[in-house]
Amino acid sequence: MVIGDFELEIEPVVAAKARLPQGTMKSDAEEVVNDPFFRLLRSSHAPNPNLSSTLPENKTNVIARSGDTEKFLRETSIRHNRRLKFIDCLSKEDVDIAELRKLAWAGTPDDLRPIVWPVLLGYIPLPSNLRVPTLARKREEYLSLVQLAFARDRQSLDQQVWHQIEIDVPRTRPGVQLWMQETTQRSLERILYVWAIRHPASGYVQGINDLVTPFFQVFLSAYIDSDPELFDTSLLPQPILNAIEADCFWCLSRLLDGIQDNYISAQPGIHRSVKRMAELISRIDAPLYNHLESQNVEFMQFAFRWMNCLLMREISVQNTIRMWDTYLAEGADAFSQFHLYVCSAFLVKWSTKLRQMDFQAMGIIMFLQSPPTQDWGDHEIELLLSEAFVLCSIWHNAQSHLNAR
Amino acid sequence: MTEGSDYDYLFKVVLIGDSGVGKSNLLSRFTRNQFNMDSKSTIGVEFATRSINVDGKLIKAQIWDTAGQERYRAITSAYYRGAVGALLVYDISKQATFANVTRWLKELRDHADSNIVIMLVGNKSDLKHLRAVPTEEATNFATQNELSFIETSALDASNVDSAFQTILTDIYRIVSSKTLDQSGDSVKAPTSDTIPVAIDSSAPAKNGCC
Ligand SMILES: Nc1nc2c(ncn2[C@@H]2O[C@H](COP(=O)(O)OP(=O)(O)O)[C@@H](O)[C@H]2O)c(=O)[nH]1
Ligand SMILES: [Mg+2]
Repeated sequence: MVIGDFELEIEPVVAAKARLPQGTMKSDAEEVVNDPFFRLLRSSHAPNPNLSSTLPENKTNVIARSGDTEKFLRETSIRHNRRLKFIDCLSKEDVDIAELRKLAWAGTPDDLRPIVWPVLLGYIPLPSNLRVPTLARKREEYLSLVQLAFARDRQSLDQQVWHQIEIDVPRTRPGVQLWMQETTQRSLERILYVWAIRHPASGYVQGINDLVTPFFQVFLSAYIDSDPELFDTSLLPQPILNAIEADCFWCLSRLLDGIQDNYISAQPGIHRSVKRMAELISRIDAPLYNHLESQNVEFMQFAFRWMNCLLMREISVQNTIRMWDTYLAEGADAFSQFHLYVCSAFLVKWSTKLRQMDFQAMGIIMFLQSPPTQDWGDHEIELLLSEAFVLCSIWHNAQSHLNAR
Repeated sequence: MTEGSDYDYLFKVVLIGDSGVGKSNLLSRFTRNQFNMDSKSTIGVEFATRSINVDGKLIKAQIWDTAGQERYRAITSAYYRGAVGALLVYDISKQATFANVTRWLKELRDHADSNIVIMLVGNKSDLKHLRAVPTEEATNFATQNELSFIETSALDASNVDSAFQTILTDIYRIVSSKTLDQSGDSVKAPTSDTIPVAIDSSAPAKNGCC
């Protein structure tokens, strides 16, 4: 009788949860957490989904009416073909990293990103038989790092580091539901603290909190059927939350390995990048360079933050995620090297506008502090990336040559 | 219209103090009348302006908000140069942020012009039930160190305008008396907003905004 009641109570709760606006779990989440390739390998054996299934119903109607059907179908088919190439590449026993890089440079499909990023970062190994055991081991390792770091009471934490993290966690993506939740914030706190004490040369530096957010949202998206930014993370089963957190930690670590110099004492990496950026602008857009100089605007006044937060304060997280597809495809040093060209292309984008601002050092700096990128989508980011690519191919060797002398 | 022609004086002021004491919110309250319960942390140095009237003169305040974290000290202290005023902010509900005021004063002595006008600001005065720094203790400290002192709340806006108004007026008084004293050489009528007025004529602020 008691058991019967218990069951009756639990059933509706689960059913209700599945329909809550805070989001729903994917049905294969439990399998995917152990083997992130589970869904991919499963579905690649199944017949290919037909094109129309990727068209949301209302969109089909709009398009039919607007007469753009042909263009839309062509784009959809291009996207579909790219997807197939990704799936092909990822389904190999031994993923061809060069091929994956080439594909990812032009953008990764949303649903494949949670496996593509860790592979590009070298966190998920290329040979298929190593993936499951490696992930299990790394996640276990992270858990024990957390246990070690928080083994004793709060007083035994590194007070300076902990204090700064405590202040910054609630200031991470303020206003976005996902990041205002207890569960997400505690997770972020652990990631940042464990990373900081393992990297005493830099410790936690403000802005590193921002860099966790794209990873968290991308990895979370693998397990849920709704918008990660609206998802209630307290609904996540513990093993899944642990996995997301560990994966974020290791991927963040790999990303930061390439830009440690940005965060150590005196932040030499940032100073070097800003200096190189100024040199580059003097060559590619001398009128802008001269204008900034005549107005007494220094590159450090706006570009410091561009380097410190990888432009995350200037563009949206969606933009950042698309940008990281390319950065990760470029390779380990893209976050310091390629990023410099992206920032340069970003500045030159506003050249005309900036050159019209006379006797307005303050106006120029304020403009560059919050440039009008609010409605930027993939298209604008892709344009920026391709401009950066051109700059990089023309100037990269020239600059290293200059620096060597 | 250029910014160079629409004010009589341009004063560069820096906001310093520990992380989380409310510097950025004081700035946004003063310049945009906005307050954010959760605002992003300041990275390096950020910047805003507002003009106010003092004795019939239009004073443009160029305010540089700095990151409180130690790691950013190298970049932020570079911005002290050319500043004629500093608001040194602590949180009245956090004793540690008040204890650190001494360190911030040393920081100013090391990097800023010696004549910089400093105002001690005890922020978050709305948190009465959490007060950890008695007003009297701060008043005494300010007197000993020859600082002006005010308690503010960026949240309920109390005394925020008054704090900025007071420091800008103090600066203006010093600057305008100097102009009378010394044939006006040290204080030129602004031609561009990039060169804030320096109080100390022996160290004119060049490239003032960095
Ligand atoms: N209660 C209260 N909270 C404040 C006040 N000013 C700032 N805060 C809060 O304190 C936190 C840090 O503020 P912020 O301006 O970012 O501090 P900063 O690091 O010194 O720039 C934020 O959560 C603010 O909402 C205030 O006057 N009263
Ligand atoms: Mg701030």
